[in-house]
Amino acid sequence: MKKALAIMLTAAMGCGMLSGCSGGGSTGGGAVQQTTQAAQAAGDSGSSSGETSAAPAVDASMYEVTEPITIQWWHSIEDQNAQTVEDVVSAFNSSQDLITVEAVYVGSYGQVNEALVAAHAAGTGLPAVTVANTPYVAEYGAGGLTEDLTPYIQATGFDIDDFGKGLIDASSYEGKQVALPFLISTQVIYYNKDIADELGVTVPEKWDDMESFLEKVSVVNNGTVERYGTVVPGWDQWYFETFYLNKGVNIINDDRISTDLDSDAAVELVYQFKDWCDKGYMYWANGTDASSIMRQNFIDKKTFSVMHTSSLYNNYVDKCDFEVGMAWLPGGETKDQEIGGCVLLIPSKNDQATKNAAWQFLSYLCSKEVNMTWAKETGYIPTRNSVLQTEEGVKFLEEKPAFQCIFDNLDLINPRIQHPGWNQLATIWKNYMAEIMIEDVDIPSKIEDMVEEINEVLEDS
Amino acid sequence: MEQNTFLKPRTISAIKDFICVLPALVFLGIFTYYPICKLIQISFTDWNLLNDTWNYVGLKNWIWLFNGSGTKHLLNSLKVTVLYSIGELTITLLGGLAFALIFGRLNKTFSIMRAIVFMPKYVAMSSAAVVFLWILNTDTGILNYLLNCVGLPSVDWLGNRNTALLSVLMLTGWRAIGYGMMIYLSAMIGISKDYYEAASLDGATAVQSFFKITLPMLSPTTLFLFVTTFISSMKVFQSVDILTSGGPYRATEVFVYTIYKYAMEDFRMDRASVVAIAFFVLLLVVTASTFKISNSSVHYDS
Repeated sequence: MKKALAIMLTAAMGCGMLSGCSGGGSTGGGAVQQTTQAAQAAGDSGSSSGETSAAPAVDASMYEVTEPITIQWWHSIEDQNAQTVEDVVSAFNSSQDLITVEAVYVGSYGQVNEALVAAHAAGTGLPAVTVANTPYVAEYGAGGLTEDLTPYIQATGFDIDDFGKGLIDASSYEGKQVALPFLISTQVIYYNKDIADELGVTVPEKWDDMESFLEKVSVVNNGTVERYGTVVPGWDQWYFETFYLNKGVNIINDDRISTDLDSDAAVELVYQFKDWCDKGYMYWANGTDASSIMRQNFIDKKTFSVMHTSSLYNNYVDKCDFEVGMAWLPGGETKDQEIGGCVLLIPSKNDQATKNAAWQFLSYLCSKEVNMTWAKETGYIPTRNSVLQTEEGVKFLEEKPAFQCIFDNLDLINPRIQHPGWNQLATIWKNYMAEIMIEDVDIPSKIEDMVEEINEVLEDS
Repeated sequence: MEQNTFLKPRTISAIKDFICVLPALVFLGIFTYYPICKLIQISFTDWNLLNDTWNYVGLKNWIWLFNGSGTKHLLNSLKVTVLYSIGELTITLLGGLAFALIFGRLNKTFSIMRAIVFMPKYVAMSSAAVVFLWILNTDTGILNYLLNCVGLPSVDWLGNRNTALLSVLMLTGWRAIGYGMMIYLSAMIGISKDYYEAASLDGATAVQSFFKITLPMLSPTTLFLFVTTFISSMKVFQSVDILTSGGPYRATEVFVYTIYKYAMEDFRMDRASVVAIAFFVLLLVVTASTFKISNSSVHYDS
């Protein structure tokens, strides 16, 4: 009898284990996914974004919202802009009868990413529309997380050509428009204009002039730093990768499986940063609360300047009791910068009715009017050519003259580097950079280890 | 009366027993064995969390873990986790015992003191971690303010690799020490007074009574606390996630955080799976060894 019971138990357990091991090749998470007939009708024609505002080539009725529906919008917009979120969503909800949008604050871009990917893998609990930090576009596009918006754009005649080319490229993957630009920013240097005027200095345009500039604006007495010249936000490589790019460093080589971060130019930059950190001209901000500490240091005049995102312009201006200046980052051979902020996308595993409602809300959020609301109330950049190159742009600059440095260089704001392994690369890079800058380590061996790890990740992604 | 010719009464009884335990077995199968099985399966694939499909890649992930760039990070996680566990065990066992001895008197004043020490256990870890973020803030934190008051320089508690793990231990220790105290107190109350009276008659000092009676009689409790604290400390995640996110530069990247990072930040479920299996085996071996070793050194009253 014991034997019989043991056999039954084994069989019961075995069934469980077998079922666990079956179904190889699929996560089984695609139950919710509906074959998007509409997308097929559009035929993934590979039409370039430049053609999308032409006359609708697809049946517009397939994208109409016919039944009342409630949808969720996941975002990362923090408390200080909560009222704007509420106003924008309320205006949409009251503008029509069928769609009710619930705005959900999920957390930082990283937290949105985690929640979104988990929901995508599970095939349930997905938002209708979500924000996504710009570097995630490639990974989401490659993984099929995002709906191709091309047929929606064609069906509704959405004016996508009004966005700059850089913005369109930053929100597409392999020719597919998988997202649309929403809250767009770039890297800038905020500086204390009062002190700058007092010292008679300006933020240099060239990297080669940084040393003398930092020497003038820093206050270091007998090894004690009383005022830093600037702060590099080491918690996000976005803030320092632009210096590498402008020195001609290929963060990902053309072969797509290796990095140039151990080239002479890249190594020289590391030593330059380290030297300035050691001299007390700057510090490398790292850690979970590094951003708030850095901001507070600037407000408290413990640092002359900080490198940060332009989206925080209003935040800095409101909190500082001195005039805040904003400058373009010093360049090298070039003075290019990269897009920051977020795009909006529709998860592909939603049903078609949700996607249709999501598209209506998404296109509303990306409209010129809503974009201008954000631009005025935060530090995000107006994204529409029809604003930037017209009287509206002039009026905007009258209200925010500090943005002149961004308007002057708009053509130099490029899309992010797109690679499925980018996120892993970024984590390795910023970890090693922080260790090199903060600790006393053997720099060549650390760079060697870093490059080896990055190459391994790039090859395996 | 008609006899069942196919099954004996004992067999029928056994089947009934089996049916009774079947719900528990199904539950275990779905929520324990199925995930473990799935984990083993994923470890042989190249599954990226974003993709609905995967390919089998043989031992590639295992080679990465034991003979590739994964080895370095595995060893780092192992070191960090063991250090953390030693820290939490020390705080819970030694700190708990010390507090139990200090606050052991059964009067109202000491009862309030015990409540104060135990209270942090009720505070949600996430809330406590946020408060500790403020306390440990380099520029505005109260801890550095107090250090400055006595003439000591500020410390970058969470940003320095030498103090980051200690900072995490401050938080977990603050919450765990009261728990250790309460467990030890309840065990101390259970020790028969006869032993102490006999020792007293024989002229034993308080210190001798503690080492010869209290400590040996508390050994089952110590074993219980050791095993439960050890397993929970090996699985630490929340405090690390909120306070340091595994940083600075992997200095607080404990095992569970490493698994989480591979799965949820890098989307590499394949790599997360091999690390998780390695962690599972390690926990299994260490826990089994603990029980094996403890059998010979634990004293039971009976």
